[in-house]
Amino acid sequence: MAATRRTDLVIGLIACGALFAAWELVAWLGLTSPRFLPAPSQILVALWRMITEQSLLWHAGVSTLRVWTAFLIAAAMAVPIGIMMGSNRIVGAALEPLIDFIRYLPVPALVPLSIIWFGVGEETKIFLLWLGTFFQLVLLVADDVHRVPQEYHEIAATLGAPGWRRLLDVALPAMLPTLVDNMRITLGWCWTYLIIAEIVAADSGLGFVIWQARRYFKTPEVMAGVIAIGVIGLLTDQLVRVLHRRWFSYLRP
Amino acid sequence: MTYLTFEQVTKTFQSTAGPIEVVAPFDLTVARGELVVFLGPSGCGKTTLMRMVGGLETPSSGRILLEGTPLTRPDHRRGMVFQSYSSFPWLTVAENVAYGMRYRRDLSAGAKADRAQHYLAVVGLSDFASAYPSRISGGMRQRVAIARTLAAGSEILLMDEPFGALDAQRRETLQLELHKLQEEDARTIIFVTHDVEEAAFLADRVILFTRRPARILAEVEVSRRLGSRRTLATRDSQDFFALRTELLAQVRATAVEEAAA
Ligand SMILES: Nc1ncnc2c1ncn2[C@@H]1O[C@H](COP(=O)(O)OP(=O)(O)OP(=O)(O)O)[C@@H](O)[C@H]1O
Ligand SMILES: [Mg+2]
Repeated sequence: MAATRRTDLVIGLIACGALFAAWELVAWLGLTSPRFLPAPSQILVALWRMITEQSLLWHAGVSTLRVWTAFLIAAAMAVPIGIMMGSNRIVGAALEPLIDFIRYLPVPALVPLSIIWFGVGEETKIFLLWLGTFFQLVLLVADDVHRVPQEYHEIAATLGAPGWRRLLDVALPAMLPTLVDNMRITLGWCWTYLIIAEIVAADSGLGFVIWQARRYFKTPEVMAGVIAIGVIGLLTDQLVRVLHRRWFSYLRP
Repeated sequence: MTYLTFEQVTKTFQSTAGPIEVVAPFDLTVARGELVVFLGPSGCGKTTLMRMVGGLETPSSGRILLEGTPLTRPDHRRGMVFQSYSSFPWLTVAENVAYGMRYRRDLSAGAKADRAQHYLAVVGLSDFASAYPSRISGGMRQRVAIARTLAAGSEILLMDEPFGALDAQRRETLQLELHKLQEEDARTIIFVTHDVEEAAFLADRVILFTRRPARILAEVEVSRRLGSRRTLATRDSQDFFALRTELLAQVRATAVEEAAA
């Protein structure tokens, strides 16, 4: 088990390394213009300069704070509402069509509306990130509730558990592993909306940094910014995976 | 006084394709401490009958009485043991057993802990008290479920093909254990199975069902023929053999009828 995981990791690293080597070579041979596709080494240099001279880490911190604020608000709303939708037919029937509709609205299309409602401050950014997360997560939560085996509810019912205790004592722990997994996935989506949120009159954050660099055609900086988002996303994802394995170790034989 | 009584119980489900009559007017009385096995073709309504006893479904008409009182809502006096998802994976074995008493206010925390320990020992799982269900065998998981309903204080155990997913060896062990257990603290058990041999070995009485809608095709008083004590030797006895053959013939007859229909 551990051995295969390690092999997978090594294979992944080798493939990654090969790709970057080829890319570096192409750029070095002058086959592409640095303005379109700078070499990985140039991006790394840009990244270092941005960290040391342009407080990239502070911008990353600002972005992370925004993503987590929006995500926590979305999750704090989506979990109870999703559980209500999943466990009560009337609530589910009432909310599902509406949420399903909003879910398919492209977040960028709602930028103007969001500015009208919330101005160009922090609220708009949080709102846009929330928009991209809440409606997805709430439906996933409702679905998780549906997938709790009927038997669990019935065991609780025959032992005299009232309806709300069944939700709390049985449905919630039963769905928790998938819930955490779904949260991990939607948190990733939240990061993908960051750029959209932060090009709305922002003066901070990774989205702002990327957008600024684009204005001056500093392609290495654009790419460095993108990579910074990718790395933060990847690290968060891996961290949650590790926690998931630890918290829900009881699922493994 | 009779203990558990079905009085003209029927059940019809409404489906998109129209009503499905699952249980035809059904009468049966079960004595306290009796182990009744429901044996019948797939889809005939055995589970539905059982769920009505458990209070998980309500009869479309007729009544089910426990000591004269009609059963409506589920409560801890009737405990279910399912074939799958029979225990909670996020609780340890001991916690699963203790869960049976979670909603009982008449027991102190100490009494609950004692009972949980006691019934863990009864089903032979004391050594696995702190293991999670995913780490123990399927047979042990079923024992957890049985211990949970015993600890809950269920007087009636409703067991729906509880050993259906187990291999022959584990099945036999659990059948013997169930017998011993019932001998020791006489609980009433309704046990659903597809397995004729299991039915013959476990039952005080076997109820054979027709195809849907469920009706009683035949009743076989097993304890009158095999006695109420069953051991491994019972399986080799001539009486057991005859009984099994007889039940098989009945089951085949309904199967033939089904093929003809
Ligand atoms: N909630 C329901 N709605 C509609 N039909 C149902 C419902 N529950 C059961 N049925 C139908 O009732 C019939 C009897 O089901 P039941 O589960 O009681 O049979 P069974 O004897 O336990 O079968 P098996 O041996 O396969 O477990 C089946 O045809 C089933 O499709
Ligand atoms: Mg069934």
